[in-house]
Amino acid sequence: MTEKYDTDVETAWCPGCGNFGILNAVKKALEATGKEKHEIVLVSGIGQAAKLPHHVDVNVFNGLHGRALPAAAGIKMANAGLTVVVTSGDGDIYGEGGNHFLHNIRRNVDIALFVHDNQVYGLTKGQASPTSDAGWPGALQRSGALSAPFPPLAVALALGCGFVARGYAADVDFTADLMLQAIRFPGFALVDILQPCVTFNRKNTYEWYGRRAVKLPPEHDVTDRRKAMDLALKWEETIPLGVLYRKEMPTFGQRHPQVSGPALCDRETPEEAIRALLRKRMTAAG
Amino acid sequence: MRIDTSIRVTGAAGQGVHTVGNLIMRMVVGAGYHFHVTQDYMSRIRGGRTAQGIRIGSDPVRAGREETEILLAINPDLLPHFLPAVARDGFALADVPSADPPLVAAPLGEMAARAGSPILANVVGAGAIAFALGIPLETADSILAADFQGDYFDKNRTALRLGAEWARDHLPERIRERFRLPPRVPATRIILSGNEALALGAIAGGCKFAAGYPMTPGTGILSVLAREGPSVGLVFEQAEDEIAALTMALGAAYTGARSLVATSGGGFALMVEALSLAGMMEIPVVVVLAMRPGPATGMPTRTEQGDLEFALSAGHGEFPRLVLSPGSPEEAFDLAQHAMDMAEAFQVPAIVLTDQYLADTIVDIDPSSCAVRPVRRHIVRGGSVPGGEPGKVLRYAITESGISPMTVPGEAGITVVSDSDEHTEDGHLTEDHATRIRMVEKRLRKGSMLAGRTVPPLVSGPPNGELLLIGFGSTKEVIEETRQILARDGRTVATVHLRQVWPFPADEITEIVSRFGTVLTVENNAGGQLARLIRRECGVTVDGTIPRYDGLPFTPAEAADAVRTRRGG
Repeated sequence: MTEKYDTDVETAWCPGCGNFGILNAVKKALEATGKEKHEIVLVSGIGQAAKLPHHVDVNVFNGLHGRALPAAAGIKMANAGLTVVVTSGDGDIYGEGGNHFLHNIRRNVDIALFVHDNQVYGLTKGQASPTSDAGWPGALQRSGALSAPFPPLAVALALGCGFVARGYAADVDFTADLMLQAIRFPGFALVDILQPCVTFNRKNTYEWYGRRAVKLPPEHDVTDRRKAMDLALKWEETIPLGVLYRKEMPTFGQRHPQVSGPALCDRETPEEAIRALLRKRMTAAG
Repeated sequence: MRIDTSIRVTGAAGQGVHTVGNLIMRMVVGAGYHFHVTQDYMSRIRGGRTAQGIRIGSDPVRAGREETEILLAINPDLLPHFLPAVARDGFALADVPSADPPLVAAPLGEMAARAGSPILANVVGAGAIAFALGIPLETADSILAADFQGDYFDKNRTALRLGAEWARDHLPERIRERFRLPPRVPATRIILSGNEALALGAIAGGCKFAAGYPMTPGTGILSVLAREGPSVGLVFEQAEDEIAALTMALGAAYTGARSLVATSGGGFALMVEALSLAGMMEIPVVVVLAMRPGPATGMPTRTEQGDLEFALSAGHGEFPRLVLSPGSPEEAFDLAQHAMDMAEAFQVPAIVLTDQYLADTIVDIDPSSCAVRPVRRHIVRGGSVPGGEPGKVLRYAITESGISPMTVPGEAGITVVSDSDEHTEDGHLTEDHATRIRMVEKRLRKGSMLAGRTVPPLVSGPPNGELLLIGFGSTKEVIEETRQILARDGRTVATVHLRQVWPFPADEITEIVSRFGTVLTVENNAGGQLARLIRRECGVTVDGTIPRYDGLPFTPAEAADAVRTRRGG
């Protein structure tokens, strides 16, 4: 395993947590990009998953619960040269930050989003998350989870997301490869990652995922959106892993006339430009 | 000869009230006079009641007036609402079959139809007013030519002439004598609304990223940034909600882009958690809060200064902030630049408090009063980035001032770590209590430093006397004119205008207050929030508050009356 990105910050995760596999995959994927540390920003919200950036020696923006995506979008809009990766949990991205998930897919900002999807709120001790299976017994769900589970990949596909994939925390190399593809993809790229929670989710365990998770065959046509939608909705019997859908479209940065060019930080404000704006509002003298 | 004429143009939304207002204000400046426009509109796209108050003067005009000399009611249904305010020696025009003074029946619709379209009734009316003011139609033509071409220009020009000819034949000679503006040589002026001035000031202050979610009355700022920002490489994006708007701005600011968001109370309420994030991560950002009456949706298109205490306390936890309160478009232009600079210098959120009244007020201003300050950056770049352990940058280094060198991601050889949790000097989350104490104190030291750079209050009038009027933000010019009215009564009155409400200039206010017999705050709210703030920060109790909370701005005559009544006549 690479040591390039190691930090001396201790992890706060339970032994056996799926986050360890995801952390290793992130490090492998970042190393494979060939980017320097200073060119990468890891953005997260709040939760056990959202602590991941502290264990990777790159630029870090560990913001508020649910708000990783707008922060990441702002970073990418302000400095298109940065590689921006969001890595956070299912409650963070699909619950508290649901609106930002919807609209940043529509915006097609060039960022990669890795969702640690353990179907449970771990840090707050075992409540249902948006992706909890129906009937799942959460700490605050005395009659089991009553809401239908949020289908992240199907929602992303419905919104026209150009890169939709699913990884598995137990398969580091496979997931690292998906992450690398997502980072290299020009546009919004989602990798939802099955992540067993060894403490609070006694249903969706390594064993449970292991029996259902199936890698897509090489002949899967990643340009077939309808097929991808069918695959995205599969869950109880088999859970497809890999790239379900891939289609490049102009990114936000390519469509927004002011984003390309130097980083905003390096742009000047010439006094003459301001004078010109004031002159436009001037009346003529007599 | 001193000119002070108040014109009101009113109609349903969609009847071209703003077009007429725009025409009249430009004609007036073209004739060498000054104006002040206030906007009174309803939360709807068509119909209802829209009005523009245009007060014209031989001296620069800085407040509205309730009493109207000239009323143009494009929609006669609105006469009952506006006619009572028309002065005895004034006149009102409306398309009614017959009328008694001061109302004059004017066949606006018929003339508009002759000009080519019934929608031109507004321009016909403008022509009549131009005639009454003695403004040459050539002046009006050149203004129309800037907005209309070809057939549209011809029709507007015809409508204007029909209105003027009608006025020549039908307005009593007395009216022409009363309102004619003696010829003057016009000076070059800049026509600016409060919102426009604020947006241009932000651009001048180096703003390079702006985001927002449309909300009256803050939207006008976003419009100017979206339209004019590209000329200086500014990126604007409409966010999915206000939470995203401020969080996006913080993301951009984390990379070193000077960033701004603009909203009103309800949107600001959503931004509050991100405001706290800016406090914790020490990210510079400017938040414009254009107030309107609350609670909740309140009166969306009207004015109030009810969010003062909210702006001062918004955000969980303790962190320093700057809260500025411009009192005019000139101050908005200046303080927006100041906010951009100070936010970055101290790595704090800076809030600029305006309201619908200031946002929508349009005036003509002296170009020399728009000072453009050079943009001085406070971010550490390139060779200046502090060394130390290879690659390690202490983004939150403990310093005497509390201000740590601000580095940005993308700088070769370093990484920048920022966390919403309490953090170590290198930005990583910590639960160590000793570190917590050091970081709290570091952040609060910035607040003390910030207080040392407070924009002083502006004082007008005698150094001591019987009455002191204190206000903040948009009431500045109203209070000044109120002072002049009361001074004519023979009273020794002074005023204080707060351009900055946080850090609060407590020493100055405490000292000034001691020199006057009676001290009143003048506030566009019901609770007297500024009076409470003075009591809290200065330990002195003001004698009372002149409040207004019907959703409308003060006018000087009304504020002066309120003072007189309060003092027992």
